Amino acid sequence: MSYFIEDYGVRGHNAVALEDSIMQKGKQVTANSKILEGFVSPFNAAVAERLINAQFTVAGKTSMNEFGIPSLLNGQTEVLGAVKVVSDGVVDYALCNDIFGQYRKQAAENSCCYIHPTYGTVSRFGIIPLASSMDRIGVVCKNISDGFNVLSKIAGNDFRDGAMYPEKTYKYEISDKRIRIGIPKAVTQKDELFDENVTKTLGECFQTVDMELENFDVYKQVVYILSCAEISNNISRYDGVKFGYRTPAYRGVNELYINTRSEGFGTDVKLTALMGAMVLSQENYVPYYEKAMKVRRLIKNSLRFDNYDVIALPCSIGNDPYENLSLYALSALAGLPSVTFKHNGHNIQLVGNVKREDLLLTAWEVCRHEL
Amino acid sequence: MNYETVMGLEVHVELSTETKLFCACCAKFGAEANENICPACMGMPGMPAVINKKAVELGIAASLVTNSEITPCMTFDKKNYFYPDLPTGYQITQWFAPICKNGWIEIETSEGKRKITLKQIHIEEDAGKLVHDNRIGASLIDFNRTSVPLVEIVSNPDFRTAEEVVAYLEKLRLLLSFAGVSDCKMQEGSMRCDVNISVRKVGSTALGTRTEIKNMNSLKAIAAAITFESQRHINALETGSEVLVQETRRWDDNIGETFSMREKEAAADYRYFPDPEIMPIEIGDDWINDVRNSLPETSYDKYARLTQELGLSEYDSKIITGSKNLSDIFDGTMKYFDNPKEVVNWIIVELLSIAKGDNKGEDDVKIDCRKFAEIMELVDNKTINRNIAKKLLLLIWEDDIDPVLYVKENKLGMVSDTRLIEDTIQLVLKEQSNSVEQYKAGNDKLFNFLVGQVMKKLAGKADPKIVNSLLADAIKKDDM
Repeated sequence: MSYFIEDYGVRGHNAVALEDSIMQKGKQVTANSKILEGFVSPFNAAVAERLINAQFTVAGKTSMNEFGIPSLLNGQTEVLGAVKVVSDGVVDYALCNDIFGQYRKQAAENSCCYIHPTYGTVSRFGIIPLASSMDRIGVVCKNISDGFNVLSKIAGNDFRDGAMYPEKTYKYEISDKRIRIGIPKAVTQKDELFDENVTKTLGECFQTVDMELENFDVYKQVVYILSCAEISNNISRYDGVKFGYRTPAYRGVNELYINTRSEGFGTDVKLTALMGAMVLSQENYVPYYEKAMKVRRLIKNSLRFDNYDVIALPCSIGNDPYENLSLYALSALAGLPSVTFKHNGHNIQLVGNVKREDLLLTAWEVCRHEL
Repeated sequence: MNYETVMGLEVHVELSTETKLFCACCAKFGAEANENICPACMGMPGMPAVINKKAVELGIAASLVTNSEITPCMTFDKKNYFYPDLPTGYQITQWFAPICKNGWIEIETSEGKRKITLKQIHIEEDAGKLVHDNRIGASLIDFNRTSVPLVEIVSNPDFRTAEEVVAYLEKLRLLLSFAGVSDCKMQEGSMRCDVNISVRKVGSTALGTRTEIKNMNSLKAIAAAITFESQRHINALETGSEVLVQETRRWDDNIGETFSMREKEAAADYRYFPDPEIMPIEIGDDWINDVRNSLPETSYDKYARLTQELGLSEYDSKIITGSKNLSDIFDGTMKYFDNPKEVVNWIIVELLSIAKGDNKGEDDVKIDCRKFAEIMELVDNKTINRNIAKKLLLLIWEDDIDPVLYVKENKLGMVSDTRLIEDTIQLVLKEQSNSVEQYKAGNDKLFNFLVGQVMKKLAGKADPKIVNSLLADAIKKDDM
């Protein structure tokens, strides 16, 4: 299997692979969707631009789920391109947009690391939008410390993205702070091995704090409802009128829309668009969308980062992809940074407070040396 | 049976920003098709919406001049629908927390003064324009107007007559254009009005079946459309000739009737939701005060200043303050030539008549105020006479000449040499001895003829007053 859908042949320590949702001027970008067939990006994504300015080069474009939507029906069977190129040692870094956790999960499972930065610290300019309130470029890497070095090159305010923090640059440095790890017992218990081994060993290196993730049972519903709504809206621009794929056979504008989108989108995208339209429809807005927004607020407000610095979570709780969505929903909904990595045979996810990537880096360093 | 018409208005006003609502494209009217577009306003992926702050400020200004309650924290929302003139498949508008609510405007009609109350004003982006080309059998799309910022001003159903509607729109135009919110030109589409209309029996409080009329691009058309549509409703109720349905109808100005647009509106579900890319915007008192303090003079303040401080007539002041454009020309010219009566005279008598000849109204007149003032200066310091000055104005209008230079190069300066004028008069008196005799015999009209002859010989370049008095002197002397 080839690693790239387009390989520029560049290798070495400064080579970075980009998921096919990150726009590069003059290059076709499709987010692995037929609907964007032939669409050539007229500009560079901010992250691509900044990588190049920092003397990195683009190795190639990696394959992805269509628009980055994993199949919730069948689960993720193949290893995603961005993970595979790093785990097989083709390149040291890959950038991708991870809302549903498929990259975070696979990175740990394939002996890589993943850095999911705070929402609003990396520009979304030039990223094929998925769910705007959750879209975030993260780094697949071999080593969290090196990964943060790459992140420091691409993070920082960009006036072309209106939902960013004002800081122009970020330094990710190891902190002297003695880190307290929050263990949401009710969640970690869902993965017996994790609960027995990881929480115990974490306790040997860190102060651990028992905690509760309120409303954890509905995390997946909330992230699913909100992301479907935003995605259905963001992909409405693909209508066959201006760019990308257009059906060859249509009479009148309605048929142009219907045929183009029926032929251009795959099953998971159509399902997402339908769900999104459903939860935003007049009769469902209040019971679904508005309610999910309220619970999102409750979830954000329920966090007590004055009692703990980092929350430890497993990377999977069984095989149901929808159930596993719960584990990645916290950072998606509250905009929190996280890292995933494998350690001593266990896949670990650490979630930190907004803009406290330094504590994630520090915790990872401690784990690496002491666990 | 007596019927009463009940109307509410939705007025769309394009904001006078340099750039569009979410990108740096030029927002001005009149460019070639698809000249002012970029990936963002073409709906391409990868460009998060970033709001134009100036548009919000003009929205605050619109709220202030309509006495509205400004929302302390407003949001932008997305309205989803597919249409080829809407490149993203959604319109960014304000649905849940618009910029202001509960405003009012006082209007004056033949019935007296009354308040029209406003439900709300919201900021939104405009859509593109479809051009149906029958030659190629296709529709073309011009995206220049896409994402141009506008405010929609939604009134309550307070209107009862077409006269009230027209008075309201005139008032809105004055308030908004003088506040710099919009140029409010109906012909160019920067001010558009949809009328929601229903009729009911006088005394009834329930509202009748409502229709919405669109596509009127002048006040005259709006008045005509209201008259037609209310009559159609009354006929339907009286005779049962047709059943009224809630629908959108298009006004055809050529035929003078409204036609159903046959859209299944009940089926439309716009799936509104808060825009996740645009953060809620807080509008604090400081910001409101900054906008309030930077608001230019209103039409009414200006009217008061013109009539009271500058001593201009009510008639002249009304014309000048009835148009933001004329009022700007007045102010601009006054900077160079500080004689209000003279400036107003030149604007109303000369400039507007030249403009009229070119089919341009008060809002479309354009003149270089410095050059305009120079003409007045040239007359004032007696370099040229009024007739030459009028010709110069026409030349500025047509060819943008430099009046001072033109006078010099074409030797249009007045003959100030009285000897030359006297010699010319003597020559004319000789040549026209018959007329001179008849004048002396009592035919007074011939005096002007003689003045004209003198002016002709001087190529029009003498001060007619001087010629008059010298001629009178010469004829008197001739008599003695």
